[in-house]
Amino acid sequence: MNKYWFYVILAALFEIYWVAGLKHSESILEWGITIVAITATFFLLPVAAKYLPIGTVYAVFAGLGTAGTVIVEIVVYGEPFQFMKVFLISTLLIGVIGLKMVSNEPAKSERKEVT
Amino acid sequence: MAWLAVLVAGVFEVIGVMNIKRLAMKKWDALVILIVTFGSSLALLSYAMQTLPMGTVYGVWTGIGTAGSTIMGMMLYGEPRDWKRLLFISMILASAVGLRLIT
Repeated sequence: MNKYWFYVILAALFEIYWVAGLKHSESILEWGITIVAITATFFLLPVAAKYLPIGTVYAVFAGLGTAGTVIVEIVVYGEPFQFMKVFLISTLLIGVIGLKMVSNEPAKSERKEVT
Repeated sequence: MAWLAVLVAGVFEVIGVMNIKRLAMKKWDALVILIVTFGSSLALLSYAMQTLPMGTVYGVWTGIGTAGSTIMGMMLYGEPRDWKRLLFISMILASAVGLRLIT
């Protein structure tokens, strides 16, 4: 996998963490980690946006963040499991994988900054 | 007023996302705009959530942000417009908005 896609996915993982952190942090340490996670997200996204279309970056970031948050709420915080949630997470992931497949990134040697 | 706040929050979000792109192009003033726009956007969201359901507010906000960023990316930066790309982005968009609405 291209490393810029990896950065977007990593940013989404940090987002999933800090969305839960904003809601549930209690100690100063938990708030501290939440703030670090927010900073990490906004450090990774511009790096990814250097070579990937910003529309793609944000759709994947927001999509995976939403799906992950729903999963965390079910698994960690006991929100109800619904078939519709699983269905929508599946269609969302198909969208992300499809988008990855139709994105033709230039090879490393011929990569140039998209302006 | 709450709905207006959601719409303006969506516009600020799209401006913020475009500044992620500008930051990627090493335009450092984008960092300030990014913090101000996302900060204002989140403040407007929490204001709207005082009267509107949280899932609905998040759903509309996510939708405006994703669709707006895709469209502005095509207009300002000539990002690809092929139908397969738009189809998959629409799938992500519809699924994410759906998830926000039912949770």
